[in-house]
Amino acid sequence: MTKPSLSFQGGTLVLYGIEQNETVPPFFQWIKARWRCEAYHYPALLTWLHANDIRDTVLRWQPLNLTLHDQREPHDYQLEALKAWQVADHLGSIVLPTGAGKTFVAIHAIQRVNRSTLVVAPTIDLLHQWYARLVNAFATEVGVYYGGEKIIKPITVTTYHSAGDLMATYGNQFKLIIYDEVHHLPAPSWGETALMSPAPFRLGLTATYPTQAEQQDGRWSLNHLIGPIIYEKQIDELVGKQLADYRTERLRVELTATERQQYDADYAIYTRFIKERKLYLHGPRWWLELMRLSSLDPKAREATLAHQRLGRLLSSAAEKLAALDRLLQEHRHERILIFTESNDVVYRLSQRHLIPALTCETKAAERKQLLEGFQSGDYGALVTSKVLNEGIDVPEAKVAVVLGGSAGAREYIQRLGRILRKVDNRQAVLYEIVVRDTVDVGRARRRRPRKETA
Amino acid sequence: MLTGDLVRSRLFQRNGELQIEWLDGNNPHWQRTAAELIKLFQQQVDQPQARWQRALEGYEAGRTDYMTIRGLAKVLSDGATFQPVATPIDPVELRKRLFSRGPTFVTPDPLYLQTREKVLREAAVEYNVTPGQVEHILYADRTAAYLLAAAGPAWTSASLITRYNLELARAALYWADQMQVQIFDSFKDFWKFLKLFKLMFEATVIDGGYSIQLDGPISPFVQATTRYGRQMAAFLPALLLGTRWRMWSTVKPPYFGKRLTYYLDESAALVSHFKGSGEFDSRLEADFAQEFREKFGEEREKWLLTREDEVILLGDTVMIPDFAFTHKKDGRRAILEIVGYWHPDYLERKVAKVRAANRSDLILLVYEGVNLSRERLLDTPSQVLYFKHKPVLKEVMALVEAVAV
Repeated sequence: MTKPSLSFQGGTLVLYGIEQNETVPPFFQWIKARWRCEAYHYPALLTWLHANDIRDTVLRWQPLNLTLHDQREPHDYQLEALKAWQVADHLGSIVLPTGAGKTFVAIHAIQRVNRSTLVVAPTIDLLHQWYARLVNAFATEVGVYYGGEKIIKPITVTTYHSAGDLMATYGNQFKLIIYDEVHHLPAPSWGETALMSPAPFRLGLTATYPTQAEQQDGRWSLNHLIGPIIYEKQIDELVGKQLADYRTERLRVELTATERQQYDADYAIYTRFIKERKLYLHGPRWWLELMRLSSLDPKAREATLAHQRLGRLLSSAAEKLAALDRLLQEHRHERILIFTESNDVVYRLSQRHLIPALTCETKAAERKQLLEGFQSGDYGALVTSKVLNEGIDVPEAKVAVVLGGSAGAREYIQRLGRILRKVDNRQAVLYEIVVRDTVDVGRARRRRPRKETA
Repeated sequence: MLTGDLVRSRLFQRNGELQIEWLDGNNPHWQRTAAELIKLFQQQVDQPQARWQRALEGYEAGRTDYMTIRGLAKVLSDGATFQPVATPIDPVELRKRLFSRGPTFVTPDPLYLQTREKVLREAAVEYNVTPGQVEHILYADRTAAYLLAAAGPAWTSASLITRYNLELARAALYWADQMQVQIFDSFKDFWKFLKLFKLMFEATVIDGGYSIQLDGPISPFVQATTRYGRQMAAFLPALLLGTRWRMWSTVKPPYFGKRLTYYLDESAALVSHFKGSGEFDSRLEADFAQEFREKFGEEREKWLLTREDEVILLGDTVMIPDFAFTHKKDGRRAILEIVGYWHPDYLERKVAKVRAANRSDLILLVYEGVNLSRERLLDTPSQVLYFKHKPVLKEVMALVEAVAV
């Protein structure tokens, strides 16, 4: 008879060679003719495996030989946070405000552990940012695993969305798992990814730790999956040192006569329908209602098409582009970031001004190269769609231009807080180009934060 | 496969049940639409993907059935091959080079003489191409610039509509947390695809077939996860390879806000595009069946030979022996597995299965040249017959007579 063994299977642990009548630790369940449990029980099983001479085939992670190439000295609070995590057996969450260098803390954590690590980020954009930071920090190859690319390396970055697939196949290859923006983890299917990992070391990072209410009623508890909060610093304890300083300027442009004619015509089609059908009665779900109607009613379909044309017209209005021309010339010697919601417009601007474009289509390696070129000054400007929305790190940018867009207030703060940093005591500036007397203006107003932080 | 938004307009709920509004292949409107789309798509061969998208937008125009049109178009795109254009310069390199000169402006500025045209012209000289080519190559690696190299299967409006309906049936499973099926034939294909799509099962015997619950490894430990929905959707065509089947699933599409039951059976006009395995896996098996037919195939003979009609359930795996013999009068049965030329790992698993099966009515016909020591099979109650070149049918039949139960 072969020796009993424990294997990793699709995010679970399975005992082979141990029958139903034998005694096993309580979290195992007899399912489909084997003893099985969730992979996250792995660390708690080690003593039992050893005492019973059970062969452990779960372990696939490896010691690394990482040297840190990032010469920046950690701040005191970052060192305190790292210490607290190590004292807590490498389990738990660190809560620091946006801009306080959570990624930097994580990089030091990886270096101290020096074992295969998986980083889980909420968006592909943040995945790319982690990729660049990790490559630079350790001067080593880093894997990325998401819809567009699937490359596994001893240090790999994935998204919450792809983490489940990754865990099912490669979950046992990582000893440390880091959840960036860990407040997303309590969501039912996201939390499952932590359950499917045997990693004994876990680190959560966030600026906004979820409340107790956000961790119950079918949602996962972070305490359970990651460990408790092991370090926390409030925003006011850090303000002044790390947060950005910027001012905003609004530029209002006109539509050309032809554009205005087309705009008014489409606007009329669209609003007439909304009013006729009293779609505003549906509250925040009015858009869903319009989409529903547009597959039944030709008039609704007309209205959505008109709305689509409005969006396209506004995103590439001639005077907006002319105003951008002027800003680019005015700030020729500074690094300029340009945001627009539309991918089409991004590529048009890239071709028009011969400046790099960053979109969801850009692969990790080129993306890193573009951002570095931008940082080093090889590229004077960078145009992007949604990708820089949440916490992208481009510390050199001092000028940002927003074309159109309809992002929420929170996103707005994050963009500014993270992207525009005060360099050499010079204030950064954000220009917003909106078209006068159109829905653009309303959107821009909605986008402004209630209270400016600068 | 279709995306969730494309199927929304075709899913309904009635009394807690999910209903799919199939696309009616007999409706002239849809026949015409499908035919027009196929034609439009075929016109795009050698053209960039972006042009296909624009053509599609033009075709949809003000039509309210645009979601169905997009779904049909997605089926066409998924079945086709789009390829990057070959360029004399690597677009990534070209971008690096050009962007290091930017930002440039269309209108010259007295203080800033670097115009767009000048930069393009210089690059063209450097790479020995025209400025127009430079512009063209700049983003030639975007998928929007990929060319339609082959339009895929020779679609007819009927085959496109049939496939679209299959994709609807699959898409409804995206939000499934489990799937319960009953199957009555094509067992081998069923389990083959089950394994391929990494699903897990729990099976029980029912009259004439098996009832099987499908889920994934983590399912028993969490509440109704939809993590495996896409795998179940991918698997569905395998179920359709059978001639008789039923499926129940619980699904929770986001727009209904509650769990619904989803039922399908062979009466749905769905056609699988998966290839079922041929009748025999090996020459040995085919020869065996033929010899049996010649020597014992007559009506008056005692035994009926059937192929892969029984599944031995072994917990998290199964064994599906190649043949079964059924006595025509008293219904006694014996099952037969031919162990031919196999890879050692495969043999190892086979031996483990035979041992786990623990069946005295199982006969193993083992090729002597196979790398399997005789002792390995001694502790199973199953019968082992060795053969040198080909099995001796008379010996086999004698054993069948002796062990059938």
